[in-house]
Amino acid sequence: MSRALLGHTLRAQRLRLAAVVLGLAAWGFFMPVIYSQFGVQFKQLFESGVIPSQFAQFGEGDVFSLAGAIGLGFIHPIALLLNSILGVGFAAGALAGERQRGTLEVLLARPLSRRVVYATLLFATLLFIAVAVAAILAGNLAGAALFNVIREIDVARMPILWLNGVLLFAAFGSIGLAASASFDRLSPALGVTLTIVLVSYFLEILGSLWPDASWLQAYSLFHYLKPRDVLTGQVDLFGPGLMLAVIVVAVAYALVEFPRRDLAAPS
Amino acid sequence: MSVIATDGLGKRYGRSITALEGLTIDVEPGEIFGFLGPNGAGKSTTIRLLLGFLHPTAGRATVFGLDTERSSVEIRARVGYLPGGIALYDSLTGHDLLAYLADLYDRPAPDRAELVDRFEFSDRDLRRPVRDYSRGMRQKIGIVQALQHDPELAILDEPTEGLDPLMQRAFYGILDDRRARGRTIFLSSHVLSEVERVCDRVAIIRKGRLAALQDVAALLARRKRNVEMRLDGPPLSLEGVPGVSGVMVRDGLLTCHLEGDVGPFLRAIAGAPVVDLTIEPAHLEEAFLEFYAEELGLAPDRPSEGGTHIGGEGATGRRLEDDRADEAAATSAGPRR
Repeated sequence: MSRALLGHTLRAQRLRLAAVVLGLAAWGFFMPVIYSQFGVQFKQLFESGVIPSQFAQFGEGDVFSLAGAIGLGFIHPIALLLNSILGVGFAAGALAGERQRGTLEVLLARPLSRRVVYATLLFATLLFIAVAVAAILAGNLAGAALFNVIREIDVARMPILWLNGVLLFAAFGSIGLAASASFDRLSPALGVTLTIVLVSYFLEILGSLWPDASWLQAYSLFHYLKPRDVLTGQVDLFGPGLMLAVIVVAVAYALVEFPRRDLAAPS
Repeated sequence: MSVIATDGLGKRYGRSITALEGLTIDVEPGEIFGFLGPNGAGKSTTIRLLLGFLHPTAGRATVFGLDTERSSVEIRARVGYLPGGIALYDSLTGHDLLAYLADLYDRPAPDRAELVDRFEFSDRDLRRPVRDYSRGMRQKIGIVQALQHDPELAILDEPTEGLDPLMQRAFYGILDDRRARGRTIFLSSHVLSEVERVCDRVAIIRKGRLAALQDVAALLARRKRNVEMRLDGPPLSLEGVPGVSGVMVRDGLLTCHLEGDVGPFLRAIAGAPVVDLTIEPAHLEEAFLEFYAEELGLAPDRPSEGGTHIGGEGATGRRLEDDRADEAAATSAGPRR
């Protein structure tokens, strides 16, 4: 790994990372507040039949329990968007973006192997994801503590949820970085990665809202995050194992493909 | 041991596009080696093969005796590279850019201050973001980043593009100093006058093939000089004077070509009623065109006065320009994704 490249990358992304961390922390803080202040009313509303009961299962989260609210916060489009800014956007642009701008050849003219460049950018991606997921959980804990509902969850399980969240977005990030290593331009790398993320998200949400399509959830990586289950003590190693397998495959592909390919003159 | 050695180096994309074919050259230590050719001839492809950006499909190349495929990182640790039309990290200041690019070598940049000074960068310039730089300033900082760590070999792709004449002169001075220190320069250019001025040897590449490899001084020595002589009296006979050819006289103006030693010519005109005499210095462009006209498929016309670009304004220049369309596909090196 190159310390100089890592330092440059962290400096270049620091404002974006700060904005994402603040946004996710605020969003994480908001979920226990909604649960503690409006959870009962929401439950009554769903029980009255005004809102179809399936909406209470959006992404396998809810607002009737703290664990459900935290789970909903994780799977909500706002959290997905904020997590994707660095987890997906940075990863997909890390190599393809430099290639498109023409700066990759300035970088690779230095005594850095392509694998070292890739490994450094992978490390940066994982670091951004780890910090972003920690931010939402820190917001969850702060909100739960401030509104006196923290005793409703086992705080000791939060690191497991953090790890699950990191694995999920690391899987998407490593796919993004693999795409970035394969293309000369940002748009196809970003397009491929976003398509995978959005299709995966769509399958999970569709399956959670429509019982007849629930089988589709098995094909979504989001399905294996299971924040509510983690916080209520149900641990399933298959999900994390699957996400880890996706990461390993994507990293292995990039480590083979990136050094092998020709880097022609930028056009 | 040669600093750069290629042996039948080639690069093909698919079955139809040949970007480089059978390139065999040697660049010796301490030499400034010009790599000349029109846009799309294969210059950048060669450089990218030397730096490991591209993988050869034929032959092999070594730099400092190291294989470019297997030891690319070790090679790049000893090389400074200026890409053609360099792209920079625009959000960084000039100072931060140079510091970052030097840090990637993980060793000091002993020549930075001197280079910055010779290119007349002020402290204020270096505190500005690179995005605010003019084209010339970008090129200058590109040269500084390539040379600041005092590399044993500098590979410079079109280094004077965008530099004003004063800065070009400063750049040539830097090259002379580096040569005096025993450093090797591999300079790609399509500007003949530049190669003539700074290079010891020149390789001319066209359509992905080596067309010529010559010592610049030897090439210039073989050049026929153009002589114009105004006479105030009867025409002078230059028949049989060694090195003189193509004598024409019109309205008191004698023109001819002069090759090799000028002594016999000067002795022949001694005492003649000469009122004006011009012997044009030998330019590489003309020498090159005369020497290789047939091989390169060019008409052996005299190129336009003062035109120093291969693809310049003259008839021969147009001929080379026409070739560029054919070669463009090969240059951009292959399928994009």
